This record gives sequence, C-alpha cells and structure tokens, in this order.
Amino acid sequence: MADPVILLDNLSKTYLVPERDAGVMAAARSLVQRRHRAIKAVDQVSFRVEPGEVVGFLGPNGAGKTTTLKMLSGLLHPTSGTGRVLAYEPWQRQRDFLKVITLVMGQRNQLNWDIPASDSFELNRVIYRVPPAQYQQTLEELVELLELGPLINKPVRNLSLGERMKCEIAAALLHRPQVLFLDEPTIGLDVTAQRRIREFIREYNRRHNATILLTSHYMADVEALCKRIVVIHHGRILFDGPLAELVKRFSPHKTIAVELEHPIESNQYADFGEVVTQDDGRLMLRVPKADTAKVAGRLLAQLPVSDLTIEDPPIEEVIEQVFAQEVES
Amino acid sequence: MNQLRILWTFFRLGAMNELAYRVNFFTQLFQAVMSLVLSLGGLAVVFNQTDTLAGWRPAELVALVGIYILVGGLINLMIQPSMQRFMEDIRMGTLDFMILKPADAQFLVSVRQVEIWKLIDIIMGLGVLVIALVRLGAQIGMAQALAFGVALLAGATIVYSFWMMLATCAFWFVKTENILVIFQSMYQAGRWPITIYPGWLQMMLTFLVPIAFAVTVPAQALTGRLTNQTLLLAILVATGLFGAARWFWRFGIRYYAGASA
Amino acid sequence: MIRAIGEIYAAQLRTSLAVQFQYRMSLAIWMIGRVIQPLVALVVWTTVARARGGDVSGYSEGDFAAYFIIQMIVTQATFSWIMWEYDYIIRSGQFSFRLLRPIHPIHADVADNLAYKVLTLVILIPAAFFLAWLFPPTLHWQWWNIVAGLLATVIAFIMRFTLEWMLAMTALWTNRVSAVNQTYDVILIFFSGYFAPLAVMPQLVQTLANFLPFRWLIAFPIELTLGRLTPTEILIGFGAQLFWLVIVQASLRYVWRAGVKQYSAVGS
Repeated sequence: MADPVILLDNLSKTYLVPERDAGVMAAARSLVQRRHRAIKAVDQVSFRVEPGEVVGFLGPNGAGKTTTLKMLSGLLHPTSGTGRVLAYEPWQRQRDFLKVITLVMGQRNQLNWDIPASDSFELNRVIYRVPPAQYQQTLEELVELLELGPLINKPVRNLSLGERMKCEIAAALLHRPQVLFLDEPTIGLDVTAQRRIREFIREYNRRHNATILLTSHYMADVEALCKRIVVIHHGRILFDGPLAELVKRFSPHKTIAVELEHPIESNQYADFGEVVTQDDGRLMLRVPKADTAKVAGRLLAQLPVSDLTIEDPPIEEVIEQVFAQEVES
Repeated sequence: MNQLRILWTFFRLGAMNELAYRVNFFTQLFQAVMSLVLSLGGLAVVFNQTDTLAGWRPAELVALVGIYILVGGLINLMIQPSMQRFMEDIRMGTLDFMILKPADAQFLVSVRQVEIWKLIDIIMGLGVLVIALVRLGAQIGMAQALAFGVALLAGATIVYSFWMMLATCAFWFVKTENILVIFQSMYQAGRWPITIYPGWLQMMLTFLVPIAFAVTVPAQALTGRLTNQTLLLAILVATGLFGAARWFWRFGIRYYAGASA
Repeated sequence: MIRAIGEIYAAQLRTSLAVQFQYRMSLAIWMIGRVIQPLVALVVWTTVARARGGDVSGYSEGDFAAYFIIQMIVTQATFSWIMWEYDYIIRSGQFSFRLLRPIHPIHADVADNLAYKVLTLVILIPAAFFLAWLFPPTLHWQWWNIVAGLLATVIAFIMRFTLEWMLAMTALWTNRVSAVNQTYDVILIFFSGYFAPLAVMPQLVQTLANFLPFRWLIAFPIELTLGRLTPTEILIGFGAQLFWLVIVQASLRYVWRAGVKQYSAVGS
C-alpha cells in the first residue's frame, strides 16, 4: 500500500473561550482578570486517508468537522497530536503544501462579488503561479465539466447560488490540487444543483485520482461519493469504515416491506413489529435485526403476502441513531 | 517579482471592477474637485487676511495642500480599502482564503482592494504640487527633491504600518472599524502645517496618528524647512513601525491559527 | 392629531435611543471629527490673529475661541446625516417601508436625529469646556443672549433639517446624489459662518451670504449668543429665519408630493 495522503495521530484542538458576565463592571473586571473555559473541539482524532480515496466526514453541527478540516488545511494549529498531509505538516503552511491542497467552504466565498469569476480566476493563476498552458487546459476542463461557459463572464453577484458554487469550486481547483477539503460544498443548493456538483466531484476524483475529504449534511452526497465514512461527535471519532458497515453496526433494526394480496384488519399485523407506514395492501414494519428472519417467516405463513423485501433503514436514520446513542452513554 | 505581478493583477481587477460603473469616475472626479475647492478656498480666505501663516507663504501652503491630497489619494487608493477588507475578512471568516494562498499573506491582504478612481486624487495632488512649485520659483535642488522623495516614502510607510497594526487588532477585537474613523477625522488636520497646532496636539498628530510624517514632513522637505534630524527620525520611525507591523501581523496570525493560545 | 404625533415621537425616540445606545462607542468616536474641525479652524484663525497683532476684522483671539466653541455646539445641534442616509435608503429599496407607514416619514428621521443629539451631549459639553480651557474665550453675553441663541438654534435646526430632508429627496430622481451632497457641503462651509465668522470672509462671500439661507443656520445663532448683534440685526435675523423656514417648508411639501409620485411611477 502507498503512503497515506492524510495521516492524523491523536490530533486535538482545545479552544480557550473567555467567559464574561454581562454588564460594564464585568467588562472592566475582565480586563484585569480573565476567566477562560477550555472547549475540546477535537479530541484525540486519528485516521488515515489513502491516495484517491473519497472519504465522507460526518457529524452534527459543532462536532469538530470544520476544526479538523481547518487543521488539515493549515489554518489552525492543533493543541496536541500530529498530522501529515502529503508528508507536509499542514500548519507550517509551506508554499509547496498550499499549492497542492484546496479548501472549499460552502458558506463562504472567495470570489469577488463585483467582477466576473474569470477575473478572480486570473488572480488565482497569478498567486498560484500556474503556467499559462496548464492553466488554459485546466480552465477548459473545469468549464466543460461544470458547464461554466455562460457563467464565468458575468459578475458573480448576478449568478444564482448554485452557479456561484460551481464557480467557487472551479476557482479552488485551478491549481490542480491533489487533496481537496470540501466543507459542505452543496449546502443550500437545490436538488439539481446538488446532483451536478456531486457528479463533478466524482468525475474529478476519477480523472485526477485526487484525494477528497468531504463534509455534508446531505446523505445523498455521502452515499453517492464516499465508500468510506468517518463519523465524529463531540470531537471524538465514533466510527471509521465503509458506509454499509455503519448501518450494520449501528442500526439494530431492519425494515420489512410487505405487499399484500388484499387489505386486512390492523389487528392482524400489529404484533409482528413496529408499524412504520401502512396503506391498503402495503405495509412497512421495523423489526429488531435478530428477529428479521423469524418475523419474515411468520408474515409469509400467516398473511396473504404477494411480495416481501427486507431493507436497511435510511442512512439518515442510522446517523441520527449514532448521535443519539452517544448522548445516552 | 511575483509580488509585482500580483500587485498588477489587483490593479487590473480594480480597474475592470470600476470600469463597469463609469458613473463612479464622475463621482470621484467631482469629489476630488470639491475637496480641492475646499482646501484652496480655505487658503484663499486665510490669505485674504494675512501674508504668511506661521511663516508659510501662500504658494508653500498650496504645495502642502497638494501633498495632502496626494497622500490622501495614496491612502484611499489601496491602504484604506485593503485594510477595511482585511477586517471584514476576519469577521466573515473569509480571511482563510488569503492565508491558504501560496504567497505572503500580509502582502496579499495589504494590496487586495484597489479603488482605481482614487488615482484622480493622486494626479490632482501632483498637479497642485507642480503648480505650487512653479509659483515658488522652483529653486529645488537635487538634494531637496531627494529628501522629499524619501520623506514621502517614509510617510507612506508609516501610515501603512500604522493602519496594518490597527487592522491586525481585529484578530482580537471584532469592532475595530471605528479606529479608521478616528484616522479619517484627524487626517483633515493635515491640511495645515502641524506646527501651528498647540504642542499636545502636535504630539498626537505625530505619534498617535502619524499625519505629521505623512504630510507636513514631506512639505517641509520641499520648502527647505526640513532638518536632517527630522528626516532621520522619519526614516527611523518608518523602519521601526514597518518591522513592528510585520511582527504584530505574525503574532496575530499565530493567534488566529491557535498556535500561541 | 398633535397628541398622536406626540405619542409617536415619544415611542420613536425611545427606540432610537435604545438602538443608538448600542453604538455608543461609535458615536463617541464620530464625535472626534466634530470636535476636530472647530479646533483646527480655531487654531488657524488664532494664528492669523496673532500675525495681525491680535485682531482680524473685529475678532480677537478670545473672540475666535468663543466663536468656534459656540460654532461646535450650534453645528452639532443643527446638522443631519439625512442626505447620505436617504441615498442608501432609496437605492436599497427600503424607502418602500417608510412609505407604508401611516405617518410622514420625516417624523421618524427627526426623532432619530434628536436621539443622537441627546446621546452625544455627554461628549459635546465636556468637549466645549475642554476647548474653553485650552483657548480662553472672551465672553460678553447676557443671560437673554443665551435664551435667544437657543431659540435661534432651534429654528435653525428645523430649517436645516427641512432643507436637507428636501435635498435628500433628490435621490428619487438622480443616482448622483453624492455630487449634490458634496456641493451643498462646500457651499454650507463657506457661506454659513462654519469655516470662519462671516466678518473675516472676503467681501464677495459676505454679500452673497445675505441672499442665501445658510448664514441664518449657523452664523446667526452664534453671533446672537455671543452678544455681537444689535437689536435691529437680531430682529432682521429672526425675520430672515422665519422667511426661509416658510420657504423650505412649502418647498418640502411640493417636493415630497412630486417625489412620491415619481417613486410610485418608477418603482425601485
């Protein structure tokens, strides 16, 4: 196996947040004596990402995702632990390192609002010192893949949110980074625009074998792009592995969908399991994983079943459960 | 050298940005003309009553007004807009994009916003300066011209470093725009030679808000009033402040990244 | 009707005070500019007075000090930022919200302005004493000078606010309001007694100033307060103030109607 592209070992980040009571007196007091509260945003996180991998980085708001991404891209200095991205220590912020990574933040823009995106692209070309020939080639490729043709010569403020995000992504990729940190790249976009960007990311990864670490609130993004996910909560890693494995491990239930030959009374199926939905002739039941086979057998034997399928619950539900378990424990 | 190319690109972006709103050109031109009317009108009223003001003859004060407009133009061309943008970037979190670029981040934030029409002020200031010099009889030797150049450069460096340090405070304090308002309010005092002000105000205009170095000292150089000590002081202050601003920026960035916390 | 407006003013004042109090630091800092200008003018004219052996057109050093300290107070009392604010309000489309209210929008602006003036008194008064300590003023006022000066300042405020509010409406017709505003500022500075007492201005300016409204906004209240005017001049002054007040009020009504018509025709 090749060397990992990203390697984190016991990485931690603690913020010291000044605590202050309201009021003028308290403000004056805090000038002299400041009280701080330590908040562990990231707590001994370790994982590695291999070349060309697309990894989904999941967690609720405030779980430490963005802090981790910021440390990996060199914006934040960790409190302890080590980290390597392509053999660089990110927070040294060496120029050579900055030239091979990129960070896309769905909620922030780097493009200048008042001028066309192509002008901002030009600025990035100069700053990243991209050779003209390579720049031209990359730009053409990005224009083609993201369908930017009619967009890049319009002032950015005239673009829709989805169009702007496509331009933001293009601006972030002009220097052909090998490592992409994508923080909520599809946030706030409509379903079509989300799909476009998702397809682009997949295609980009395939063409350039780029390594991608992606956070998203949309499970569709994760399901479509990431074979592997890392789940973080309260700064700690809860899970690291294939998506399917997550479902297997964390969902104690399966869903059984039953197609009936004719409608039946509710008291005839109520005791098979938790009824999720039911309308004439269709029935969805949630049952404990261990009992799945037994319940399916009883259903087939006792009810007029025309079709029966056993499914994993939707991924959102599983993730919710993961976070809920953490809270209980 | 790449820094020059980056600077040039920012200028071009600023130009293209502004060319889209040509009406701004006339707005700025009008504003510059009005500012000139205000300055020269003030001088006309004062010299209607007297021949010299604290030893400065009319043409010398016109030269001072030229430098006042010129330096104001330099500040408003790049320093002020970039610093405002810098503080806004800190607040909005978009400073991250600057830090992620493989170029000196202090340089990037210092040149990133160019308001191209302020070149009008610079040209107009130069024009006023030249007219004043012609009327002065232009007995300006090489040494004086050189001293003027050095004093102007030192003044610009001092103003830049001063603003850079204030803007860097935004890493710790969210609301710092007001500091810029202080500077703008006090800058108008530079229309007149600071030697006319009472001592405490002179000290404030020299060391608290460095208008003396930015406007009066170059004007003194041009009108043969500058002592070598003052010029040397200007150079020393410029070098010192520039270094201090650099150090403070590094400190701020390290704080921002959480390395020093 | 008057009671209703009174209640609205009270409510609006409370809101404005609460809002602006949040920006007390900014308010304090903006005041620096409002103190610096009279200070600079005072220093310049003191220097001129010294060069001329102590007197410029009847103004000694102490007279200049008194003039500019009162100028600072009168300017603070009468000024408004309404022309700049409306440029933004109209361009951003917020003007529509003002039109939706069942009351003339000028009342909210007046209340806002008054709230600002009340809050900044905390800085203005110490600043006046500070200047008086640095530059001892020569004062020969009577108690009635101060009362009459206050009255003239109040009339000046109403007149100036009406005038500037009317000019602010030009934003409905042109997008080059800044040119209008800057021209207005420069004219005001030279013809109102703001930059210097009119007595020390060139003869041409003095003559023109008689035909313009501006000297009644600043110079008249200052000179009245300082007891520099004869009874006849005082009467003429109040007469001129009332004359211009009627003119600007009438013009405001006309411009306001035309402006609303324009706005509803073009939209924004």
